[in-house]
Amino acid sequence: MQNLHRQTLIGLFALLAGLFLMTVAIPNWVSSPSNVRNIILAPIFWPYTLSALTILIGLGLMITGFFSSENMTPEPADVPGGYKRLAIMAVVMVIYMFGLPRLGMVWTSMLAFLATAFLVRTSHPKTAVICALCVPLVLYVFFAHVATVAIPQGNFVRLP
Amino acid sequence: MSLIDSILAGFSLVGNFESFFALFIGVAIGTIAGAIPGMSATMAVALTLPFTFSMQPIIAILLLLGVYKGGIFGGCIPAILIKTPGTPASSATVLDGYPLAEKGQAGKALGMALWASCTADLISNLSLILFAGWLASFALNFGPPEFFTLMLFSLTIIAGVSGKSLLRGALSAMLGLLLATIGLDLIYGTNRFTLGNPNMMGGLNFIAVLIGLFAIPEVLSIVWDPKPHKGQTRSLGDNSVTFSEYKKSFKSIVRGSFIGVFLGSIPGIGAAPSAFLSYSEARRKSPNRENFGKGELEGVAASEAGNNGVAGATLIPLLALGVPGDVITAIIIGAFMVHGLQPGPMMFVMNVDIIYGLFIGLIVSSVFLFIIGSVAIRGFKYVADIPRGVLFPGVLILCVYGVFAVNNNIFDVGVMFVMGWVGFVMLRNDIPAAPFLIAFILGPLLEDNFRQAMLMSGSSPAILFRGPITWFFWGLIFITVIAIIRAGVQAAKNLKKRR
Repeated sequence: MQNLHRQTLIGLFALLAGLFLMTVAIPNWVSSPSNVRNIILAPIFWPYTLSALTILIGLGLMITGFFSSENMTPEPADVPGGYKRLAIMAVVMVIYMFGLPRLGMVWTSMLAFLATAFLVRTSHPKTAVICALCVPLVLYVFFAHVATVAIPQGNFVRLP
Repeated sequence: MSLIDSILAGFSLVGNFESFFALFIGVAIGTIAGAIPGMSATMAVALTLPFTFSMQPIIAILLLLGVYKGGIFGGCIPAILIKTPGTPASSATVLDGYPLAEKGQAGKALGMALWASCTADLISNLSLILFAGWLASFALNFGPPEFFTLMLFSLTIIAGVSGKSLLRGALSAMLGLLLATIGLDLIYGTNRFTLGNPNMMGGLNFIAVLIGLFAIPEVLSIVWDPKPHKGQTRSLGDNSVTFSEYKKSFKSIVRGSFIGVFLGSIPGIGAAPSAFLSYSEARRKSPNRENFGKGELEGVAASEAGNNGVAGATLIPLLALGVPGDVITAIIIGAFMVHGLQPGPMMFVMNVDIIYGLFIGLIVSSVFLFIIGSVAIRGFKYVADIPRGVLFPGVLILCVYGVFAVNNNIFDVGVMFVMGWVGFVMLRNDIPAAPFLIAFILGPLLEDNFRQAMLMSGSSPAILFRGPITWFFWGLIFITVIAIIRAGVQAAKNLKKRR
C-alpha cells in the first residue's frame, strides 16, 4: 500500500524539480543556436517538454496524495543506526572514488571491501579479510591482463 | 540470403568451443546468482556485462543470454527451499513449492520446476525464432514517425505496469528521459546540462547508470539493515519427479509457456505477472484446484513455465524492433550497443549471421539449463550459505572494476555511486527503477526519431499520423492509457470499499 505522505512529498519534489529545470537549469545549462527558426527543432524543446510533464506528474502525485481516502500507512520502521551507517558508507564511497588515482584501484578496493564488510557487521570476519585481499587481486588480474584495461596503479605500490 | 544460408552463416559464427563454453558459463553464473537470496537475474546480467567487453560480440551476447536464462531459473531454488524467491519472477513458485518442501518433497518440486522451465524455455525460444524475423520484416517499413510512435507506446506501457503506482512509474520514466538529454545535442551539437565537463559531453555512461541503479542500492540496503537472510534450508528428500507427473502437468506447462510468450513479447510486462497468470489459469483448470497453495506439483510447473516462457519472448521486441521488453533486455540492448550492434529490423539485414547464431545458441541454452539446473539443485546449500557480509562488499568492488573498465574513466565510477544513491532513494520510496532505465535507453531514440520526423515534414506534426502503422500505435497508446486510468480508478474504489 502506498504511503500518502510520501506520495505528496514525492509530488512536491517532482514539482520543484520541474520548476528548477524550467527556470534555472534549462536557461543556463542548455545552449541553443540563435538561428534555429523552429522551436520544435531547438535543443531546448525536449528538455522543456519533459520538465513540463514532470511538473504535471508532480501535481498528479500531490493531488492523489492530498485527496485520496486511502488510509495513512505508517512510515517504514527506521532501523537503529541505519542513517549513521549510510553516512559512513557515503564517506567510504567518496574516499574510494578519490583514492582510486592516488592509492591505486587494488589497494583502495581492499580497504573499501573491509570497510563495507565491517559496516554490514559481517559474521565471518576472517573470510571477509581473506576475500578483501583476494577479490581485488583476482579482478585486477582479469581486467589488467585478460581484458587489457589500464587499471589505476596509484603513486605508491605498483603491481605487475 | 535464403533461410538455409542464414542458418549456415549462424552456425559458422557459433559453431566453436568458445561460443558454447560462454553460453554454458553464462547459464551457470545466472543459475548461481539467481539462487543467491538478495542477488537477482538483473544484477547478475549487469555485473557480467563489463567482463564481456574484450570478447567477440556473439560470444559476449551468448554469455549474457545464458546469465539471463540461468538467473530466471535459479530464482526458483531458494523460493522452494527457503521460501525466499531469488528473483521477483519466482514469487508464484513459493505458493506451492515451499509447502511441498515442508512435506519433504523439495526434490520433486525442484525437479518439476526444472522440467517446466526447460520446456517453457524451448517453446519460448522457438516462438522467438518464428516471430522475430516476421516482425522485423514488417518493421523494415518503419520510418522515423513510426519508430517515434512505437517508442512512445513502449514507454506508456512500461511506465504503466511497472510498480504499485502509475504516477511513480511515470515519474521514474520522466527522470530517465531527462537524464538521457545530458550531452551534446543530436542535431546542433550544442551542450545540454554538461556543466562544462568534457566527461559529460557524450552523455552519462549507460553501464554506470544501470549498475548504479540496480546493484549499488542492494549494497546500500544491506548497509541500512544488515540482517542475515531468514529461512531455513530444507533438505531435498529422496523424491524426484516422474515422467507420469510431468505428463500430468504438461497441459499447464504448455499453457503457461504460451502465456509467457504472449506477455513476454509485450514490452514492459515481464516474468512475474506471467508466472502469476499461468498459476491462476492452472488452478482454474485443474481438477485438484483445492490443493493449490498447499503443495500441488502442477502449481510449481505452471508458475515456472509462466516465468521461463518470457525469457525468449522478451527478445522478440528487442531483436525485431530494438525495443527492450524488460529491464534485463534493456541491459542486453546496452551490450549490443557496446559491441557496435544496433538491434532492430536492420540487424536482420546487416547482421543476419549474428541473429541466427543467437537463435542456435538459445536453443542449445535450454539443454545447458537442464544440465546445470540438475547440478544446481543439489549444490544449492553451498550457494545459499555465502555470507551476505562478504557477498555484498564483493559486489561493490565488482561494480567499481566493471564500470571503470568501460571507458577507463574514474568519472564513470562517480556517476555509478551517485546513481546508486538515487536508486536507493527510489527503492525506499517505492519508485520503480525499471522505467527509469528503459526510458534512459529509449529517450535518445525517441527524441532522435521525433526530430527526424519534424525535419522530414518541415515541423508539421501531421507526419506523426501519416499512415496505418502510426495510427495503429496511436490506437494502442490510447487503449493503454485508458486501461491504466481505469485500473487506477478501480484500485482507488477498492481501497474505499476496504475502508
